[in-house]
Amino acid sequence: MDGIELMATAMHAAKARLDVSADNLANVSSDGFHKRVARATLGPAGLIATSNPDPAPGPLRHTGRPFDLAAVGGTLAVRGRDGRAETLRSGSFARDDAGRLLDERGRMLLSARGAPVLAGPDASIDARGVVRDGTGRTVAQLKLPPGTTVQSGFLEGPNVDAVHEMVDVLDAQRAFETAQKTLSALDEERQKDANDVARVKS
Amino acid sequence: MNRALYASATGMAAQQQNLDVIADNLANADVMGFKNAQATFAQIGGDAFLGTAATGVRHVFSQGKLVRSGGPFDVAIDGAGFFALERAGERAYTRAGAFSRAADGTVRNADGWTLHGARIPPAATSVTVAADGLVSGTVNGKPATFGRLRLVDFAAPEKLRSLGSALFAATPAAGVPHGVAAGGDRQPKLVFGALEKSNVSIIESMMAILAAQRAYEANAKGVQAADEMLRIANNLHRS
Repeated sequence: MDGIELMATAMHAAKARLDVSADNLANVSSDGFHKRVARATLGPAGLIATSNPDPAPGPLRHTGRPFDLAAVGGTLAVRGRDGRAETLRSGSFARDDAGRLLDERGRMLLSARGAPVLAGPDASIDARGVVRDGTGRTVAQLKLPPGTTVQSGFLEGPNVDAVHEMVDVLDAQRAFETAQKTLSALDEERQKDANDVARVKS
Repeated sequence: MNRALYASATGMAAQQQNLDVIADNLANADVMGFKNAQATFAQIGGDAFLGTAATGVRHVFSQGKLVRSGGPFDVAIDGAGFFALERAGERAYTRAGAFSRAADGTVRNADGWTLHGARIPPAATSVTVAADGLVSGTVNGKPATFGRLRLVDFAAPEKLRSLGSALFAATPAAGVPHGVAAGGDRQPKLVFGALEKSNVSIIESMMAILAAQRAYEANAKGVQAADEMLRIANNLHRS
């Protein structure tokens, strides 16, 4: 790989980093969003940027609604309309007419037995995921990995730090510019090599 | 490049929507029975980095403060539930309880919506509403009752559709309205001569405005950076 090709991959990598940061910034108000972290590595194919989700928890925000749930140190189990099982860190659930708890995308909250949780309007959910009705009777146990604490009345915000992302945006932009300048300099040199070095004096 | 440009643009649009909802909350902060709304957003496109989109507006039905009032037929709900209203065959639900008695015996609010459950003859005096909704008073010096105000509730009240100010319409997601008993232990109570203030917190709304504005600026920076990089890429070709 020559210098010009290498600088072209560096420009691609900077662009990929900007894509990641712009998406993180766009989701600065999306509850439960996990940002991705971009990393550029130099290999035989030049500079390649890859990104991975950042598992760090986002800040918990108090909402006061009993069916807003955040699973601290674990996940909640839900099943989508298409029957696909998923896990969530946090979700805003609402009862339907049958008493099932559905989140904003219509996914229902599951109990330890894998069945939908059925809750009355005055149901409460404690830290260990026990669902109780208004009289204090246990009606279900949420499906949780061991060691999970459930916070009722809280949602997990995005783990995006806007200032950090903005610095990354500027950094990616400058890295792109540097690669472009270097590429142009190399190109100019090559132009000289081609046109001037072998020139025969007349 | 375009992905970053468009992702940042969705971020700016999202904060604009967010600000619209906050401004509406602030505008209605003094409307009795108004409920604070929140715009919600979610990532779109997953790892394709397409940015964000609004998923809806969620009303927060926490209890507003009850205040004494001097209206002719003011009723507040202490607890969950809604008044069921009707106008020209249309149904609506509200927690704003500023009503007055009409000449035909119905009880209406200022916009002409009729309250379900009570008919009060014009001759009735010292009319009052008990905690369980029973409307009573005196007619020609004799005690009389005029029906019962019935509260309704929904499986998911936060999915109700706002009809502006403090009025809501039922939706399939909110569920079918069902009657709720009032007055007992752990049941909502009706308070005559009082109104429920909005549950909008001015301070929280102002803070939300600041946060939305900063997020808007950050996304604008993203648009600028993507644009600048496009310009740089175009300059690769020397003329």
